Amino acid sequence: MELKDIKAIIDLMLKNDLSVFEMEKDGFRLKLQKGAGDQPVVLPPATVSPSQTTAVSNGPPAAAPPPTETTALKDIVSPMVGTFFRAGSPDAPPFADVGKAVTEETVVCIIEAMKVMNEIKAETSGVIAEVVAENGKPVQFGQVLFRVR
Amino acid sequence: MFEKVLIANRGEIALRIIRACKELGIRTLAVYSEADVDSLHVQIADESICIGAAPSSESYLKIDRIMSAAEVGDVDAIHPGYGFLAENAHFAEVCESCKIKFIGPPVRAIQAMGDKNSARSFARKAGVPVTPGSDGIVETEKDAVRIAKKIGYPVMIKAAAGGGGRGMRTAHNEPSLIAGFHSAGHEAEKAFGNGEIYIEKLIVNPHHIEFQIMADRHGHVVHLGERDCSIQRRNQKVIEECPSPLMNAGLRKKMGNAAVKLAKSVGYENAGTIEFLVDADRHFYFIEMNTRIQVEHTITEEVYGCDLVKEQIRIAAGQPLSPHIAHPTPRLHAIQCRINAEDPAKDFQPSPGRIAFYYAPGGRGVRIDSHAYTGYIVPPYYDSMIAKIIAVGATRTSAIDRMRRALDEYYITGIKTTVPFHAAIMRSAEFRDGKYDTGFVERVMASDNFELRHAPGRRLHE
Repeated sequence: MELKDIKAIIDLMLKNDLSVFEMEKDGFRLKLQKGAGDQPVVLPPATVSPSQTTAVSNGPPAAAPPPTETTALKDIVSPMVGTFFRAGSPDAPPFADVGKAVTEETVVCIIEAMKVMNEIKAETSGVIAEVVAENGKPVQFGQVLFRVR
Repeated sequence: MFEKVLIANRGEIALRIIRACKELGIRTLAVYSEADVDSLHVQIADESICIGAAPSSESYLKIDRIMSAAEVGDVDAIHPGYGFLAENAHFAEVCESCKIKFIGPPVRAIQAMGDKNSARSFARKAGVPVTPGSDGIVETEKDAVRIAKKIGYPVMIKAAAGGGGRGMRTAHNEPSLIAGFHSAGHEAEKAFGNGEIYIEKLIVNPHHIEFQIMADRHGHVVHLGERDCSIQRRNQKVIEECPSPLMNAGLRKKMGNAAVKLAKSVGYENAGTIEFLVDADRHFYFIEMNTRIQVEHTITEEVYGCDLVKEQIRIAAGQPLSPHIAHPTPRLHAIQCRINAEDPAKDFQPSPGRIAFYYAPGGRGVRIDSHAYTGYIVPPYYDSMIAKIIAVGATRTSAIDRMRRALDEYYITGIKTTVPFHAAIMRSAEFRDGKYDTGFVERVMASDNFELRHAPGRRLHE
């Protein structure tokens, strides 16, 4: 078998969207596999915890997102049950966007409970890495609101 | 009828309430603590919201969080179960002001019966016998003698400012009364700086018999017979049965009428239980009213063929009493054993932890109300009851034999439970004779032939 033959086989595979080609002839064996460089992504097992179970859900809880950072992120979790708002009013800018530096006293969001708007403080310091909770959606006790680096 | 109900409780009663709601086509919202995320009732509810950390004070007792969850979940009503906030008048008030129906009695009835003194005075006004006692402080020895004679011996001399069993004396006759009156007063003066004394009738080893009340919101109040809860350990009920082996038709009528009268006098609505002590001569005395559904409501359900939790929901929704509850017909005999995660061989030491293997008995006449399952981790933060097993039979004897058979099939491994303790009680002659009182458990456990009985068939769970 010559290189041009192999190239021809590869062309055929691509044209016809074949993933594997195997042949054996007179003691000569050839196996061509498409996309052999990719490894299947192994996600960490989804752990069910209150921070991931959404308040109003009919189905099984959502799986944990694959970790993209190796440095541990700190979670800002909800201390109460209510509705999560990113800003003080619909027109106002959000208290905390990704990239914002926060200290313990920084107000990061509002949780409305029983018509009372509660200002929630970061209670940690660092930089907002992720906004996890959804604006205007209910949150439960212990639910992750933000992740901080 | 309500569209959605929030269950402000946990464990087996939360499961019980969710089952009733599902049968009525009502959507359910469970609130839970972080320790209960894997609880069965949370998985079975249509929706669930975490309301706090493990300790009850951080979760199941947090009125504001429960109300927030009720708002977020847009519920029509809240069922408080038993314990926690079930008899909290303030919680009932908050529900009312938030226009969410509290599935239970009106606020004023909870308040009237919540305070023991207030409850006793309502009972007296309704002509219901209360534990006889002096009407206030007994000033002199002469008064003490007169009052004790009136009440009838034996009596209990108690310090008004007393506590911890101090400043208390029993007296079986006049000389011991006089001696007791002085010594109790003296001890109280020294211990509490207040020697004031009052006197109450001492009921020796009483029977604890309670009556189930159901009242709708249209003024209709009935009783569904009695439950005998005399089998207690350290004042905690362990076994209950319906009907009471002590009861006869005449006494049932008298006590039942007294219970209904008292419930009516406080404008009662929904489910409630009136507790009495009954002495050896079949005299009964009101002690207190529980303004909620009780743990042992199950045996009344089996005997009277009803669903009391569904009826609670119907009543709260404004419906009149169901015909089969308005005109109750008892049949059968039912016994309930409370299964706790405790080690009966080690003085009932709590035994939380992971249930390695769980198999509950079944077959004719066996009912299990439990949130336990294989792999469930019994948390250490709450009461230790993990299951209720109810055996129903045509007669008391067949109910006992059935309970004995069922307990022998009840496999719970990985933790210690009181199953072997109940299995031994079901075999005790005193229990089978039906002649027991509140001193029974201590007596029977101390006796020579009391032996804990473990379920046979170990291969099943090894």
